[in-house]
Amino acid sequence: MNERGMRLRFICCGGVMFLALLCLCMRLVHLHILTDAHARETIVANRTFTAKLDVARGKICDRNGDASILAMDIVGRDICADPSALVSNSLIQAVAASLAKDLDLDADRIERKLSVPGSRYARIVMKVHPDLAAKVEARELKGVFFEKSNVRYYPHGDFLCHVLGFVNYNGDGSAGVEQKMDVFLRGCPGILESRKNALREELYTQRGRYIPSMEGANISLTIDQFVQCRVEDVLDEVVAEHNAKGAWAIVQRVRTGEIVAMASRPSYDLNMFTASDANARLNRAIGYTFEPGSTFKAIVFAAALEEGRVYPDTKIDCEYGMWMHAGRALRDYHPYGILSVADGLKKSSNILSAKLELMLGDRLFYSYMRAFGIGQRSGLDLPGEEAGILHPVRNWSKVSGSRMCIGQGVAVTAMQMLGVYSAIANDGVLMKPYVVAEVHAKDGTMLHMGKPEPLSRPVSSRNAALMRQLLARVTEKGGTGRRARVKGYTVAGKTGTAQKAIKGGYSSVNHIASFVGFLPAESPELSIIVVVDDPQPIHTGGRVAGPAFSKIAEYAVRRMDVPASNHFKLAGR
Amino acid sequence: MLAVAGVTRVAKRFFTRMSWTMTFAVVALLVIGVFFVYSACYVSEESPVRLLYKKQMVWGFAGFLCYWALAVTDYRHLRKLSWTFYAASIVLLILVLFVGTTIYGAKRWLMFLGIGVQPSEIAKFAVVFVLARKLSRPGLNLAEPRALLEVAGIALVPLCLILLEPDFGTALVFVPMTLAMMYAAGMPARILGIIFLIGAVLLGVLMAAMFVPPALGVTREEHGDILKWIGLRTYHYDRLAVFFDADLDPLAKGWNKRQSEIAVGSGGMFGKGYLKGTQNILGFLPRSVAPTDFIFSVIAEEKGFMGSLTVLGLFSVLMVSGVRTALSAPDKMGRLLCVGFLSLLFCHVFVNIAMTVGLMPITGLPLPLLSYGGSFMMVTMASLGIVQSVRIHAKQPKVAFQQRGLWGPAVGG
Repeated sequence: MNERGMRLRFICCGGVMFLALLCLCMRLVHLHILTDAHARETIVANRTFTAKLDVARGKICDRNGDASILAMDIVGRDICADPSALVSNSLIQAVAASLAKDLDLDADRIERKLSVPGSRYARIVMKVHPDLAAKVEARELKGVFFEKSNVRYYPHGDFLCHVLGFVNYNGDGSAGVEQKMDVFLRGCPGILESRKNALREELYTQRGRYIPSMEGANISLTIDQFVQCRVEDVLDEVVAEHNAKGAWAIVQRVRTGEIVAMASRPSYDLNMFTASDANARLNRAIGYTFEPGSTFKAIVFAAALEEGRVYPDTKIDCEYGMWMHAGRALRDYHPYGILSVADGLKKSSNILSAKLELMLGDRLFYSYMRAFGIGQRSGLDLPGEEAGILHPVRNWSKVSGSRMCIGQGVAVTAMQMLGVYSAIANDGVLMKPYVVAEVHAKDGTMLHMGKPEPLSRPVSSRNAALMRQLLARVTEKGGTGRRARVKGYTVAGKTGTAQKAIKGGYSSVNHIASFVGFLPAESPELSIIVVVDDPQPIHTGGRVAGPAFSKIAEYAVRRMDVPASNHFKLAGR
Repeated sequence: MLAVAGVTRVAKRFFTRMSWTMTFAVVALLVIGVFFVYSACYVSEESPVRLLYKKQMVWGFAGFLCYWALAVTDYRHLRKLSWTFYAASIVLLILVLFVGTTIYGAKRWLMFLGIGVQPSEIAKFAVVFVLARKLSRPGLNLAEPRALLEVAGIALVPLCLILLEPDFGTALVFVPMTLAMMYAAGMPARILGIIFLIGAVLLGVLMAAMFVPPALGVTREEHGDILKWIGLRTYHYDRLAVFFDADLDPLAKGWNKRQSEIAVGSGGMFGKGYLKGTQNILGFLPRSVAPTDFIFSVIAEEKGFMGSLTVLGLFSVLMVSGVRTALSAPDKMGRLLCVGFLSLLFCHVFVNIAMTVGLMPITGLPLPLLSYGGSFMMVTMASLGIVQSVRIHAKQPKVAFQQRGLWGPAVGG
């Protein structure tokens, strides 16, 4: 081969190399210069992350403050797994079975969650209590790992469940105070904008933004957990003793409107809210409307006195138990002849009440009902309150007024009914009820304070005092509410036995028995309502709700330091 | 007096005739290498890794001494040693299969007095030498099948031993190198054509073995067995599959390719600045390979297009100067040595950069002079030293040249 041929071959080789280098250069131009800014930003964006820093929810305590925690956050675990590791080791069934056993879950459902061969992450259960998680952790299951997460924990299970409410898996308060005060409780999760390396570790030195989380504020309720506990025990007893479908009760301080206790049966365990049904979750004290029956008569009596239509000793003919009015018969439970207004209330005469309403007229009676808060939400700071049913006067028939005044054709909540009596007890001033006493930020700043707030004044203090005297007679000998008496205290109140409304009329077997009242009658401090749904076979308010009222009141007055009635008698002498 | 005169003569010839361009390029690349090995490692949590750049300096210095020494030595004196050297490298290659240190499932390293030696690197050097000697033998007719087989055999023995380690990338480099040397030695073009044809068929078979079974739904284990039959492993398939579809497994097998491309692409025109390459600092470029196989990504990210171009430019200078040396070589052996070493160098540069920019599948070939690594550094410097030696010993009297009668009139360098 000659030199020329050789050179040619070299040039050939050189050419090949040049082409190869050109290739590289083109690729470099493509990568270095033609990579668009968007792609670069995406890459940078993939490296930066914005994390929401989990924050503990505030505590909920009763009126005694920190000593009694009713709801708190604890650090629990989300139980997660790496499905691909489980699939490749064919461990799915074993792991699912073990988890199902420990966590009381359906093994098939867990298996389904884990049967995703390509996936590296599956969340099996969220927010598991740390004790339970520790138990699972001790099994050292392959491919199962745990992530910290705040778990809402209610130390007392179903205690005060309807007032407290619960927090759903997204961390949103979903009932009760948890829902109403969510903005305060949830706090403000912090934000962390930073970058991570290939091992997904945060690079502290390259933090872009760091806003530490603000912990949720703590809430003190107006509830007293001891009174509440007594109320719940009594309700449980009542439900068991009278085979009732449900029962609910409220204890309120008449001067301020604070709710000292509020309970409803059936109840549910807050730590397992998913296992409960809507029926159990219903706070009947504010979310269940019923025809109140005789307890409602207090309004018409107070109105008639206030309007000066009658005096306590005004005599009215009770028609011996049967009165035809506007073509319809109205009956009394026990027939009476002539009764004074005071006795009419004591004996709970329907006919006398209806005659009082007639004296007032529908329009006036209606305005009194409105003033007492009937037909409108009380404004209690809990979600799920019902307004009840109070038809405007223009929709009334001729007999509507005479039926409404005895608590038929009008639907109320226990909260509204209690409001009427609290107003009478509170010198005629209707107070807005509230359960949240104070909201404190972590640093002690007061964020919200429940304050007594008058809503209206349906009756004057003079007539309110008169009403208190009349109502106190209900628990005297010969009254319907004898069983509601409390030793040492004069109880003023009223029984109610309402037939439950059914299609086309009233049921003769299903009743709602209630007792609402306050004590001591001379200078009321506490008002209490007890309502029992469908007690069997005894169904009168006096015999079902009265004793329950007595038991609750007996404890509550001592717990709340209410002076006994003879104190007033001694003072008056 | 005589000795002094001899040394002076050698020194004078050395300094006047050596290619200073090449030396400049080599030194520049070595310096760049040390700097970027430092950049690739300075964030490491292990102090030995952080101090790799010092070791690289030592290796660079030792390599440079070797380069110098071989440049002074007349390459023709080394001719007699070539077969011994070859035999020794084969022995080492066999030895490494038995007593080699296993790293990442391959036995490539011989630990010798605390220094890891890669026999495959030494083999590259030896094969070039032996081939140059064999091919420069007068009267060798490369059109004859026997001669062809002999030549091919010289390259195939170490190639197969390296495949057994296994080190597919290194073994593959032997092929273009041998072909280039044969071509430069005057092998008829048609034979080259035939070899290319056979190569294409082999490649086709390989590709078929790699991609047909998975397409037919063969399980991974069975596919692994099939690949083993033709000397491949499943990770070869994975690398190739990932090369053709990087999104196949971006978090595991496709990671290196993708992150390397991101490193290069994010460098832009002028780069992020020295020691500021986030791909490397944040560990997206795996720390284990950043100073070795992926050193180019580090440079490209921190110095941008300009940095990449500088590196490519320096290598081009090296190549051009080498090719000029080859053309001016005094004899066929010298020329073939240049061709062999230069093709080796070029293969490494091309394959390494092509792999870091995503033009080729990932093969563990280092970038000469820049990547961290002792054996390879020494071999590279030695081979460049010999190219330099060819250059220095080129301008012989015309008479001596023509007496050899191999190349006809001498060509000016």
